Amino acid sequence: MISTFHGLETAKRGMNTQQSALYVTGQNISNANTLGYTRQRINFEATEAYPSASMNRPQIPGQMGTGVTAGSVQRVRESFLDLQYRGENNKLGYWNSRADSLAKMEDIMNEPSDTGLSSALGQFWQSLQDLSVNPENDGARSVVLQRGQAVSETFRYLSDSISGIQDNIGNEIGVSVKNINSILKQISDVNKQISEVEPHGYLPNDLYDERDRLVDELSTYFNVKVEVKQSGGKPSPLAEGIYDIKLTNPNGQEIYLVQGSNYNSIGIDGGTDSDGDGSKDQPPKDGLIGALLIGGTTVNIANANGVVGLSQGKLRGLIESYGYQYTTKDAGGNDITKEVGIYPDMLDQLDKLAFTFGTIFNEVHKQGYDLNGEHPTEDFFVGLTDGNYKGAAAKIQLNDKMTNSMLAASSAVNADGKVESGNGQNAINLSKIQGMNIADLIKGPVSLEGGLVIDLSGNPPKLPFDSGTISSNYQAIIGKLGVDAQQANRLTSNSATLRQTVDENRQSVSSVSIDEEFINMIKFQQAYNASARNITIVDEMLDKIINGMGLGGR
Amino acid sequence: MRVTQSMLSNNFLKNISNSYEKMGKISEQMQTQKKITRPSDDPVVAMKGIAYRTSLTEVQQYKRNFGEAHNWIDNSDAAMDQATKALQRIRELTLQANNGTLEGDQRNSVAKEIEQLRDQLKEVANTKVGDKYLFNGADTLNAPVGDISGTKLDSNGNPIYEVSKNDTPVKLELSKGVYIQVNSRGKEIFSEDLFKNLNSLIEKLSPDKTDVDLGDDIKNLDSNINTLLNERATIGARSNRLELMEDRIDQQEVNATKLMSENEDADMEKVITDLITQESIQRASLGMGARIIQPTLLDFLR
Repeated sequence: MISTFHGLETAKRGMNTQQSALYVTGQNISNANTLGYTRQRINFEATEAYPSASMNRPQIPGQMGTGVTAGSVQRVRESFLDLQYRGENNKLGYWNSRADSLAKMEDIMNEPSDTGLSSALGQFWQSLQDLSVNPENDGARSVVLQRGQAVSETFRYLSDSISGIQDNIGNEIGVSVKNINSILKQISDVNKQISEVEPHGYLPNDLYDERDRLVDELSTYFNVKVEVKQSGGKPSPLAEGIYDIKLTNPNGQEIYLVQGSNYNSIGIDGGTDSDGDGSKDQPPKDGLIGALLIGGTTVNIANANGVVGLSQGKLRGLIESYGYQYTTKDAGGNDITKEVGIYPDMLDQLDKLAFTFGTIFNEVHKQGYDLNGEHPTEDFFVGLTDGNYKGAAAKIQLNDKMTNSMLAASSAVNADGKVESGNGQNAINLSKIQGMNIADLIKGPVSLEGGLVIDLSGNPPKLPFDSGTISSNYQAIIGKLGVDAQQANRLTSNSATLRQTVDENRQSVSSVSIDEEFINMIKFQQAYNASARNITIVDEMLDKIINGMGLGGR
Repeated sequence: MRVTQSMLSNNFLKNISNSYEKMGKISEQMQTQKKITRPSDDPVVAMKGIAYRTSLTEVQQYKRNFGEAHNWIDNSDAAMDQATKALQRIRELTLQANNGTLEGDQRNSVAKEIEQLRDQLKEVANTKVGDKYLFNGADTLNAPVGDISGTKLDSNGNPIYEVSKNDTPVKLELSKGVYIQVNSRGKEIFSEDLFKNLNSLIEKLSPDKTDVDLGDDIKNLDSNINTLLNERATIGARSNRLELMEDRIDQQEVNATKLMSENEDADMEKVITDLITQESIQRASLGMGARIIQPTLLDFLR
């Protein structure tokens, strides 16, 4: 026999369950705009029917349902889309940071414009031409000195600005490393909390959301692989378990970042610890970044062939901009350290350019005659170390001993040993430096106008470039910058689009639709009302039984 | 696909910001009148831009050098014109004096006039434009002709003529690798011989000497005048060449400017069309935004 109050119980369960469904709806609506929130739903489950199959079951025809219960509160999410999203996210992180640092460099180089290095060189060239036409003119001479100063200042400005931004990127690397460590710690904390909840059969949905959001954030920095481990105890079959997170490098190397409630903090090999938390977050004081330290493992940025071994992502983008180093063997089998990177490369190119320009200028200048009829005893540009171009762009400057009359504009002196004031042939030579063929210069002596000869050949070569002209080498630098930046911009926008698409798919599954929630609200409300009405009906039925029966004949 | 409000508004936000970015690019093109502002916009345009600018600067500089070349040549020509007139006048006077009809004091006044003309020639030889002497080769800061009175004697008792012998050419670069001499050979025109001859002519015309044959002097004068005319012809030819080259450099400037402009200048019709198109897209998406964000099912219930 079924219990008299069975119907009441069933209806009550209906009311309770619909009510909790309304609460979940409320939670969804409240969090419609919460970043990283996954919509939740109640899995309604019909409760066990009566009677259950057993030896002493009552002999009634068929089983009678006993109502509904809220089986579980589940996140509506598809983990495959998370995988895709994270895969795209590290590409976006990588290209974005590259595009950023290249855009900053473009701002500094400021080409094509009327204020960049090429226009400073152009103006200098013009002033030398003016000097060649009016070599006896004091004004023309002082303009050359001023413009020469402007050229060296432009070199120094470019070099300083680029070093400055490189330092900023170094700080950004520090901030990123700190951020990564903080994310790793948070994930391991959340893992711990989850491992405390899941064994009891509960689904800590908000913790799951939090953890997924953190993994998303982590995936900007590099490519991560998530491995799921089941919690102990009696977890719900829907439980998402504990995340173990690995960094996966392109060479197949995998390193644990998070293992349950533990994590391996990352640091920079040879770097400095800015805040005393034990991880070396800042790049080394001298030299570039060679390797990362993760837990006890060393991850070299590049191998001996220069192939980058760190996973793509924002961190690698930043390190490639800032510059990294690796050890390789030279022809003689000795270890040499190579320095690579967007900023170090540009500094190197500028150094080469400044050195080449300054060295050729000094050499040509030395061959001429100043107003006193002598070869100049002072270099025009100083700050250039013989044979070593490193740092030339930062150090090149106009010799402050230079005076108007010391400017060697002439190519000859007359029979009395006096300079011919109207001879401006060496000024012409000086004006031609920008376009001198470097391959010829390093091959042997080169004759100039007015019977002058310069010799910049030597072994090892005295000039860091081996071909082209100063002008064409500079054009090549700007061209490469443009191509690199263009590529970075294009790939940033491509990977942003891809990530956006995946994210849209993900949101399509997981985000809250207000309309949908309203419809659910109405659904649950009506079901709740109907359950209540059901009670009324059962009540009336009972009323009949209790108060209306056995009164026959009254 | 299931689409939710937050997706719509996120998308809207993204599209609107893309649209603003495009507007920014267009307004940048409008304001700078340039297709590109940074190398990554178009690396090829940027590289070419640097090269074209360099060659335009060069052409403009050569044009500037022409000014100086004209300065030399025109002033030299004017000076030589004066010198020619002076010499011709001297020749005229010499002819007059040579036919023997002049009285002593008349000869004296002819001698005085020639003396004046001689000094005039010295002044012409020392013509200075700006801070440079035109007729002293490349030694432009020193006057070519000093004392030519013939009164200063050297240790052997011979008169000293302070006339410069400098004939170094002054060359200006007027096109890439093309050097044009702009000075005239002052050494030939205002030579020591010229002044020596003039002095001896003046000597011969002193009132105490009569009936001296001046035939040789006239011959000398003729040869001086010839040298001068030759030099003027040279300078005239050079001036012609200068004009030809200048025409060519003008043409080159036009070409270089055109190349540069084609390479990097924004096509305004295109920019304005882009602007208008972008504007309407912007309006449409803003309007859409206003419509899609507001209503929910709730607005239509009850």
